[in-house]
Amino acid sequence: MATELTDQHSSELLKGTLQLIILKLLSDNASMYGYEITQRVRELSEDTIMLTEGSLYPTLHRLVADGLLKTETVQMGKRIRKYYSLTRQGKKSVTSKVEEFTSFVRTMSLVLNIKPNLLG
Amino acid sequence: MITDEHIAYISKDLHYRGIVEEQVQNEMLDHLCELVDTNMKNGQRFIEAYESALTSLGYSDGLLQTQSLIIKSENPNPLTMLQNYITVAWRNLNKHKAYSLINVFGLAVGLAACLIIGLYIYEEFQYDRYNDKAGRIYRVEAHAKLGANQFDMTYRSAAEAHDLQLSYPEIETTVRFRQMGSYLVKTAEGNENIKESNVIWSDSTFFKVFSIPVLEGNARTALAEPQGVAISKRIADKYYPGKSALGETIILDNVRYGKVTAVYENIPSTSHFHFDIIIGVVGDWPISREALRSDYLTENFITYLLLRSGADASALEAKLPEFVKQHVGPALASAIGGDFTFDKFLAQGNQYRVSLRPLLDIHLHSNLKGEFESNGSITYLYVLGAVGLVILLIACINFVNLSTARSSTRAKEVGIRKAMGSLRVHLIRQFLTESLIVSTAGFMGALLLAWLFLPLFNNLAQRNLSLPWSNAMFMPFISVSAICVGVMAGLYPAFVLSAFKPAKVLKGERVPTTSISAFRSALVVGQLALSVLFTIGAAAITQQLRYIQQKNLGFDKDQVIIVHDTYALRPNNVKPFKEEVLKLAGITTGTVSGYVPVEIENAGRNNSTFWEEGKGPTDEHIVSFQQWSGDDDYIRTFGMQIVAGRDFSRDLKSDDRSVIVNEAAVQQFGMKDPIGRRIYEFDVSARGQEREAPYTIIGVIKDFHFTTMRETIMPLGIFPGETDGSVSFRFQSGDPKDLTSRIEQVWKKLAPGQPFNFSFLDADYANMYEAENKLARIFTIFSALAIFIACLGLFALASLTAQQRTREIGIRKALGATVQSILLLLIKDFGKLVLIAFALSAPIAHYAVSQWLSSYAYKTGIGLSLYLTVGGIISLITLFAVLFQSVRAATASPVASLRNE
Repeated sequence: MATELTDQHSSELLKGTLQLIILKLLSDNASMYGYEITQRVRELSEDTIMLTEGSLYPTLHRLVADGLLKTETVQMGKRIRKYYSLTRQGKKSVTSKVEEFTSFVRTMSLVLNIKPNLLG
Repeated sequence: MITDEHIAYISKDLHYRGIVEEQVQNEMLDHLCELVDTNMKNGQRFIEAYESALTSLGYSDGLLQTQSLIIKSENPNPLTMLQNYITVAWRNLNKHKAYSLINVFGLAVGLAACLIIGLYIYEEFQYDRYNDKAGRIYRVEAHAKLGANQFDMTYRSAAEAHDLQLSYPEIETTVRFRQMGSYLVKTAEGNENIKESNVIWSDSTFFKVFSIPVLEGNARTALAEPQGVAISKRIADKYYPGKSALGETIILDNVRYGKVTAVYENIPSTSHFHFDIIIGVVGDWPISREALRSDYLTENFITYLLLRSGADASALEAKLPEFVKQHVGPALASAIGGDFTFDKFLAQGNQYRVSLRPLLDIHLHSNLKGEFESNGSITYLYVLGAVGLVILLIACINFVNLSTARSSTRAKEVGIRKAMGSLRVHLIRQFLTESLIVSTAGFMGALLLAWLFLPLFNNLAQRNLSLPWSNAMFMPFISVSAICVGVMAGLYPAFVLSAFKPAKVLKGERVPTTSISAFRSALVVGQLALSVLFTIGAAAITQQLRYIQQKNLGFDKDQVIIVHDTYALRPNNVKPFKEEVLKLAGITTGTVSGYVPVEIENAGRNNSTFWEEGKGPTDEHIVSFQQWSGDDDYIRTFGMQIVAGRDFSRDLKSDDRSVIVNEAAVQQFGMKDPIGRRIYEFDVSARGQEREAPYTIIGVIKDFHFTTMRETIMPLGIFPGETDGSVSFRFQSGDPKDLTSRIEQVWKKLAPGQPFNFSFLDADYANMYEAENKLARIFTIFSALAIFIACLGLFALASLTAQQRTREIGIRKALGATVQSILLLLIKDFGKLVLIAFALSAPIAHYAVSQWLSSYAYKTGIGLSLYLTVGGIISLITLFAVLFQSVRAATASPVASLRNE
């Protein structure tokens, strides 16, 4: 249920990475709102990762509850838009989480004996 | 481009789809708007754009799931919600303390009653289950019909057990019992005899069939040794304290010297027998010789079979008619004589059938002649179980009624909660939490009450029940029950209340209460009807018991003392004892006779068959007869009435072959003028050849009740003679305690070292109806409980009704209604319910009561007055329950009530 994908990636594989994706996106862009995040992920993944609202929003709220994200609401005419951005704590954790993930992927490639070209 | 109208539309639609959490709603709205905007830019119309946006979000289901995931991810602790439910529930219950207390208390009382009854029933079903081989043990029972007489008994011929085992290989072994009543017991050193009632003669296979652990001695051989006696631990501790009883001498009735060969664990209380002393039927004692007899129709032994594993009992039972024909048939032929054949015997409508009863059926299903102890009754358990369930039902009805009665006050709460975004499921959970709290509190109260009142119940039911805390299943069972009761009682209110439409209730529109109050009325009627049913039952039983106590019995049960076991005075002191006691002041007459006109242990009962001289012993002329013996003081001592002829003369010898019969006998014989007629005894052992001299009827006594009122008075004859089973004395009024101590002094002089046992005839008479008394007491208590709980509910309901009608009452009063007219208005509704309840339950009660009474040959007439009395009492009690609050409401100042509303 977590992430709707094309048949290239299994949802199992992406479940744990959703938080990382969000954190990384927000560290590259000062603040984003929900719809914007889904669109950006889609662009970056070349249409292979389609986040569903059912997994995106609970994860966002979870990160807020954990103190990694903060929110800011802006009145847009008849509707209210909620922007998410990293807290200080969130900023700190992005670097370590990206490193953690990179080393995990490296280990996995060693174990599985594959050479993903994006890691050089 | 998306417009403001579109946004408003989406916002409304989201709310309609149940997205009510403000944060979630805003975020979804923004998200959907973006999607729709994009779609519209791609050329779709708004409605299409919105439709495809919804598709990607999964419509209502997907949206609601997202909402709940968001709420959950913000509150990682799942107990938060539960905590909230409990807090709110507690506040609600606290706000209406009186109702909550009534709810909890009513439930606790009902549950406690149910729990106690449950424990009792559970124990009844545990009987004989301690036996490992319980499923393979069967008792042999006989059903004989000879002429007009039906015999259903456990007594079998001595040889039958052995012959059965020889004939049918599926029988692994057999065990026989021979009851000889109580014994006087002492040890070799002791000189005081103590009376022991639980003494039995049995085969050496006893310990093989029944799982009674043997503590000392060899279970296999203990009862196979001549003079071998096995005793229970209780007896061992009593007679041989501080030492091993094994090998000790045990003296029975002063003459039989037995040797203790085994000490066994006390037989569990849940057993259909409780033998303390088991004497082996081997060696040279009279019973042992009787056990070796090979003839049939001398039926004194109670036989149990242990079947092999896998044997089919019903298949075995099907073979038994052939067995009976082969073994009992010849014995019957020689007894009846003539051209007897078994087939002809059956064809004449007679019967001789042997059946097998599973061990586990004995306690609850069997009530034959020759039971070891009086058994339980499954009917009684059904009644008791129904009573327990009904009380629980009444308590639950209270709960439902009180919850729905508060619906109009709670309707606003429901409205506000819904408007604030509560879903129906939240409200249902909220209400269920409330009812679970009440039911949990009720169960805890019930445990407390049960613990408090168990001793009282034990006293009443002569049991030794306790709350089985140590049973691992008990607390889980109680908890699960608490949840079940809470959910079941809370379900209806929860669904009704949560269904209110917020817009309606908040606008002040009346809640659609008619259907709810109709349901409530139906429940109240149900409660009252059940209460009426119980009360009529209790009243009818009480009335029948009073009838039994007051009925003219045909003898005078008051002021007669019976001294039991006077055979201890043998051989020479029986008569002197009577003479000595008669010299005491206050004693008027005395009689030496084992036959007393009440059913007590050791009361002589002896059935024989007679026919009138000149008629011959054929079916239509033989009369089955109680054959009693008494001396010339017998009739005077018991206060029976001679209606024709005379009593025995002082010199019994001259009346040697005479008899005094009762009216029933005269009628059965069909005699017009009985005095001087002569009757013959039909003697099986005489084999129809030599006959003893006939008896001449010299007197007729008025029928008197010598068994319970369940049975019609059967023919009876008193024959001259003295049997030393007991000596009875009639005494003048005075202190019975002083009297018994003076008689005891005489006894001690004449029977040193023998136990002095006595009873009063009226008390013995009352004891015959112990079961009925128990039933009456239990019924009275539980019907009182049922009424109490029902009234508790009514009281609360009435006060709620009065409270809800405050404004109406205020307006009525302002317009000039009197207090009386308002009272009438309030009470009328409940009066109607009482009437309906009464009309419903009276016919059922009538049917049940007449069913119960039909088991009595002599019964009281249950007239209209009983129903009217019960109706009156119930109306009065409910009136009081309703009146209290109604008076308060009716007398309240209308100014105050109208201002407050």
